[in-house]
Amino acid sequence: MIARILAGAALAVIATQTALAAEDPSEAAFRATYKELVETNTAVSNGSCTLAAQRMGAHLKAAGFADDQITYFATPEHPRDGGLVAILPGTSTTEKPILLIAHLDVVEAKRADWTRDPFKLVEENGYFWARGSFDDKSMAAIWTDSMARLKAAHVKLRRTVKLALTCGEETSGAFNGAEWLAKNKRELIDAEFALNEGGGGRTDGKGVVDGGKVVVMSVQVGEKASQDYRVEARNVGGHSSIPIKDNAIYELSAALLHLRDFDFPAELNDTTRAFFARRSDAFPGATGAAMKTVATAAPGTDAFKQAVATLDQDRGFHSTLRTTCVATMLDGGHATNALPQRAGAIVNCRIFPGHSFEEIRTALVQVLADPKLTVTTAEPDQPIGKAPPLDPKVVHPMEALTAKYFPGVPLVPTMSTGATDGIYLEASGIPTYGVPGIWANPDFNGIHGLNEHLEVASLLKGRAFLYELIQAYAK
Amino acid sequence: MIRSVLFAAFAVVIASPALAVPDAISPDEAAFRTTYRTLVETDTTLAHGDCTLAAARMADTLRAAGFSDDRLIAYAAPDHPREGGLVAILPGHSTTLKPLLLVAHIDVVEARREDWPRDPFTLTETNGYFHARGAFDDKAHAAIFVDALANLSRTHAKPKRTIKLALTCGEETNGAFNGAQWLAANQRDLIDAAFALNEGGGGRTNGKPISTGGKVIAQTIQVGEKTFANFVLETRNRGGHSSAPRPDNAIYQLAHALDRIEAYTFPVEFTPTTSVYFHDVGTARGGPIGAAMIALAADPTDKAALWQVDTDAFLHSNIRTTCVATMLDAGHAPNALPQRARATVNCRIFPGHAVDAIGHELERVIGDPEVSVTALSPLRPAPPPPPLDPMVLDPARKLVAKYWPGVTLVPSMANGYTDATFLTAAGIPTYGAPGLWGDPDGNGVHGLDERIEVKSLLTGRLFLDDLIRAYAF
Repeated sequence: MIARILAGAALAVIATQTALAAEDPSEAAFRATYKELVETNTAVSNGSCTLAAQRMGAHLKAAGFADDQITYFATPEHPRDGGLVAILPGTSTTEKPILLIAHLDVVEAKRADWTRDPFKLVEENGYFWARGSFDDKSMAAIWTDSMARLKAAHVKLRRTVKLALTCGEETSGAFNGAEWLAKNKRELIDAEFALNEGGGGRTDGKGVVDGGKVVVMSVQVGEKASQDYRVEARNVGGHSSIPIKDNAIYELSAALLHLRDFDFPAELNDTTRAFFARRSDAFPGATGAAMKTVATAAPGTDAFKQAVATLDQDRGFHSTLRTTCVATMLDGGHATNALPQRAGAIVNCRIFPGHSFEEIRTALVQVLADPKLTVTTAEPDQPIGKAPPLDPKVVHPMEALTAKYFPGVPLVPTMSTGATDGIYLEASGIPTYGVPGIWANPDFNGIHGLNEHLEVASLLKGRAFLYELIQAYAK
Repeated sequence: MIRSVLFAAFAVVIASPALAVPDAISPDEAAFRTTYRTLVETDTTLAHGDCTLAAARMADTLRAAGFSDDRLIAYAAPDHPREGGLVAILPGHSTTLKPLLLVAHIDVVEARREDWPRDPFTLTETNGYFHARGAFDDKAHAAIFVDALANLSRTHAKPKRTIKLALTCGEETNGAFNGAQWLAANQRDLIDAAFALNEGGGGRTNGKPISTGGKVIAQTIQVGEKTFANFVLETRNRGGHSSAPRPDNAIYQLAHALDRIEAYTFPVEFTPTTSVYFHDVGTARGGPIGAAMIALAADPTDKAALWQVDTDAFLHSNIRTTCVATMLDAGHAPNALPQRARATVNCRIFPGHAVDAIGHELERVIGDPEVSVTALSPLRPAPPPPPLDPMVLDPARKLVAKYWPGVTLVPSMANGYTDATFLTAAGIPTYGAPGLWGDPDGNGVHGLDERIEVKSLLTGRLFLDDLIRAYAF
């Protein structure tokens, strides 16, 4: 989940909230599904995504899914990191499926560190508390519940709706279900577009249950790719009592100072242009004006440059406006009394959509400006995703439902500067959008940390919102 | 032992006939060879050797030569039982002349059997060379000094000066127990002397062994050495996620500090030793660098001469303090902004400057109070160099002229360091003796297949015996 880096700096719009819809008779079944999923430990060290997938599959089967409509998957090397794909067929022969995706795995949680058992769902003061109560089991349970309801109610769908529950989003280098499906079961998950985590709402600082308001909704459209490069200087070395002019550490240092002083040129795409345009009203004064300007002025004009300079003072905006590369690690030398034979740095780049790893490597070579240095691309953790288009077919239903459920609250497209599983789907040609609906507080609700929690109203209203959204696309 | 960094600037081309060594081994020489072999074949590495045992074996040799037990003082710190040493006293009859101290370290650099062409702790004689770990550094001196005292005792020689011998452990290690430092701190009276002879000086050939027609072309006496200190430069930052870099960054801040240090050159300095060295070696060397050495020694503000001299890395380091970055370490994850960045800067401090003063100078050069500069222990003393004392140098000059006609004895300052730092700081001026010669390739000292030419060892022994007599009788 990358909600924590979504809503950067924004808190101003006042919105009215509609009261929750009348009691839904299917809510009890949903709560049971959610509770069961949350209470199934899916941490990589001692949990089992495979078990969680089986339990969600059982709900689908109970709702009427045939065995051949549910595909469980797991690799022999990772028997506890499995998942499932479920298919609810539509009638159209021309319209492609939509894919609902959520990850089952959660970040580790130690009982000793938590106020309560992290794998027991507790409802208290209008909040659900547990590891995964938000990230991402709220969405996984809503998708599972929605599929079961559509099936049980025999809702007639034009588009086929697919569900993929995956494992490994929270780990780096372990088994990743979304990556595996994209590589090995591409046909099974083929879709016109996918709905994923990464979007959502933000309150003004208080939960709605405590009188707060949802002030902004976002849809994530695209994300930057994260890629490491290694910069290395080598030297013959020698005894430190007789220093020589060439020195690997100094060469590296000088090059890194060039990197420090370099900014990639500012650029925008449809997503970030819409983000700056729609969020500008929330920022008074020069910042808001600059946001309007970058969204409209031609790049290269003085007005554009001045606006970028203003926005660059905020590190979130600075990163949204361009590829960034920053030195994160250093190593060098082998003894305190020997001239270094080698000095190296890790440079972590967050690549704006539309650029290749090699293009950025070449840019680094030019910026570092020392032909004696080597710049190598580390083994990529993730592919480079193609930024999904701001497709009206996808965005309009979200806007309409946001207006219905959250009157007066703007829906803002955002580009993540981090990375979710969406990048694997996008790299395999399935545009992936982080949906609005569920909201968080600005303190990020303990996601990835201690005492993770989610407002009960956020979960239930989000469920209603997303159930309608699926039907808006598929019916 | 620091000889490998001593002679880099030498090119003195003056012929000298090799000294004849009789083919038949005299009883004297046979006894010396036994002492030398015994010492070399006693493993004294820090990892698995025993200096205390080596010292006891040398004490046995001296006892057999007539040393009474009260003149053989074995010592070892309780927490370092295998890193002991020996002080031996041969009394002189003068009541006014202070003693002469001979000091040699008996520990050696580690040597692995599997890396060497032969067992490093078995002395082998082939093609005119002795091969073994410690064959040169510094068991050659240690054995020669033990043998010299044994001979003097056996022959009931009556020196004017008392002659003291200190065999110590820990010169090759940094941060472990150091016998010379321990004696200076705990047994200062026992080793008190007018001056001390130590490693650090010596001769060099023209690249060919004497036994195959090569020549000794230079002899030096070490008078003073640089000391060293390691400083850690550290910057800290609150860090954060690397997806949104912030303007302040621990790595860039450190890189900026290193950039300043690279750009900074410490001012030019001379000691009496290096003034003479630059003049004499410059004269012998000739060419543009030789001329510049002479000019700079005469006028340290001569910019053109300085530029020329600084093109030679050894000379550049011989006329100033140097500080150079040797290690780097920063960050904790590739996708996180660094919370800490650290570099080690190794300084070779010109005699007369305190470690603290160099640390403050680095802070000034860096000019960023957020970069901390901390000296790492162990902190070594920084004494002024011993004087160019004619009482010490003149006898050595005369003997060099006798043994190697045409070769001038040149005082030199080492860019590296020996135990002389501790003794000189304790008020015992310590000189690196001439005599033993090495080849320009460094003789494998500290490295693989350490070796010394047999003629170097045997001629050096005679030379040093004569030198001791010249000082003490």
